[in-house]
Amino acid sequence: MSGIAFILAGTLAAATPLLLAALGEMVVERSGVLNLGLEGMMALGAALGFIVVFLTGNHALGFLVAGLGGAVLSLVFASLVLGFVANQVAAGLGVGLLGLGLSSLVGKAYESRTVPGLPRLHLPGLSDLPLVGPLLTQDIVVWLSLVLALGLWAVLAHSKAGLVVRAVGENPHAARALGFPVIAIRCGAIAFGGTLAGLAGAYASTVYTPLWADGMIAGRGWIALALVVFGTWATGRIVFGALLFGALSLGELSAQAAGVGLPSQVLASLPYAVTILMLAVISSDRRRMRRTAIASLGQPFEP
Amino acid sequence: MQKPLDRRSFLKSSLAAGTALALPLPAFAAEDTLNVALIVPSPAADVGWSHTLLAGAKALEEFGPGVKITLLENIAEGPDADRIMNKTVADGNTFIILGSFGYMNGGLKLAKAHPEIAVLHASGYQVAPNFSPFGARYYQGTYLMGMAAAALSKTKKLGCVGAFAIPELITSINAWTLGAQAVDPSIDVSVVWVNSWFDPASEQEAAKALLAQGVDVIFSNAQDTPSVITVAEEAGAYVFNLNSSMKAYAPKKYLGVVGTDWSPYFKANARAHLDGTFAGAAAWLSMADKVVYVADLNPDIPADVAARMAEVQAATLAGTLSPFTGPISGQDGTEKVAAGVTLGDDMILSMDWHVQGVTTPLPK
Repeated sequence: MSGIAFILAGTLAAATPLLLAALGEMVVERSGVLNLGLEGMMALGAALGFIVVFLTGNHALGFLVAGLGGAVLSLVFASLVLGFVANQVAAGLGVGLLGLGLSSLVGKAYESRTVPGLPRLHLPGLSDLPLVGPLLTQDIVVWLSLVLALGLWAVLAHSKAGLVVRAVGENPHAARALGFPVIAIRCGAIAFGGTLAGLAGAYASTVYTPLWADGMIAGRGWIALALVVFGTWATGRIVFGALLFGALSLGELSAQAAGVGLPSQVLASLPYAVTILMLAVISSDRRRMRRTAIASLGQPFEP
Repeated sequence: MQKPLDRRSFLKSSLAAGTALALPLPAFAAEDTLNVALIVPSPAADVGWSHTLLAGAKALEEFGPGVKITLLENIAEGPDADRIMNKTVADGNTFIILGSFGYMNGGLKLAKAHPEIAVLHASGYQVAPNFSPFGARYYQGTYLMGMAAAALSKTKKLGCVGAFAIPELITSINAWTLGAQAVDPSIDVSVVWVNSWFDPASEQEAAKALLAQGVDVIFSNAQDTPSVITVAEEAGAYVFNLNSSMKAYAPKKYLGVVGTDWSPYFKANARAHLDGTFAGAAAWLSMADKVVYVADLNPDIPADVAARMAEVQAATLAGTLSPFTGPISGQDGTEKVAAGVTLGDDMILSMDWHVQGVTTPLPK
């Protein structure tokens, strides 16, 4: 029982860094660009956000700087893949490593420091409910992330701007022929993705954990990337995948703490295995997949 | 420790100094210079594993101004580390301290290629004439911490956040459990393995999962950041860790540290290296070696238990007490160590079973 309460209370916070990074990457990939530098952008955001919060105590400022840091790094990536038409996989990996290195460099003096996190908002009435109370008692960033997911879904699925981004991802040449500035739109999508990756990092280092240690992102950028692909670039599925992964990774620890007789290595691999399986089952419809897969993803575009 | 100078000894020593200046003896000069390189896998922060190694290496500066210490931090294990090791030797460093298990094969090759250098290697098992592995008997300290934990626990449930289920961590958890049972036989210990050496977020979630099960004393086993410590302090659970004190992160609920002070070991080996008597040998350092210590104990520990802990510590120092003296039962209740028998080092070093009282099954 207490284990379930622990999972309910922690899932949304555990999922938020993944969700933010994955939502940003979803937009980038919808525009036809594959950004493999997500982990490094998260790490840079985590380091910058932490430093600002450590020095000023202001979380809003920390998120702002982290978002800017992620955006600037993503623009480096954009200049490589859009400006110099570089291979997206190589450029993404390279910029990701650059981000990891930069985070390590700027964060050096703050290694193992801690900051106070954000308070969990007590919703009158709702937070006192049995069982779902802890689930509904979260910090502000968690709620904002979910609102953002909803907003992105609305924009991508039901607005002209969303349609344009998707058109650029499907067939950049056709989009260009229609008069859309493909490079500018992709650049904007990349900057948006970088910003969200920076914010995701800042959430991890200033709210979720809240401490800075070199390497603390610990692969979450890669998990976010996988969530985007297995979630077939659909907002709802990515939210579902992030929540499922968050819940399972907590459930695994909770099962160990409760003394469940399964080897911890098996339990530790469960979140990955189950999330992949679930998302694979959801997206097993071949025809649907052909419709959702992004035609120009990863292909360099030269007008 | 020098006696105050009287006029005669002053004259003598200034005469000696004058002679030394006039006839610089090479052997004398060689004794003064020692280039030390320390290679560690993580950044040497204010706390943690790398920090303790750096503090130990810095103690070598006591040898004189000729000692130069080069710190190479955050070096990933693998080919990169091998390259950096070779470079430090090419740069003239002759006393190399390797701070991670994964540096073993590269370090051993290096030592074989350069017989003139001496290499100390943390937590490995390979030995060569100029290559010595070293480790700490953390279990001596965790036994004491178990006594303290049992005295302070109200729920009688203790929890450990472990990195990987390897013998070094298993022994420290077993000794902790045995120490707790020495004070209160009804104690239960749960273990959550994070299966990662470094993931502060998961470590924190693991601590929270333990707290949700009613655990009120936590052992942060092999985490290099205060991740678990901060969670425990916030939740009002006692917490302790290994290597270096993290009391600053948990001013109220810090139970203590099972610390390591590598300086006696590093100094002895650096001296041997300078004297040309360095011999490769595995060292498993203990409280008696002044390497493992317990400090920053929480004042909440009841006086009677604190007194018992002091007795146990004295007996450990004297070598008359080992946590792993039978009768000890395994998790399933079968006898693992017969009454009166004390496990040998090889049995402790390869321990792959939990004692009775640890409720979490051990991954195989």
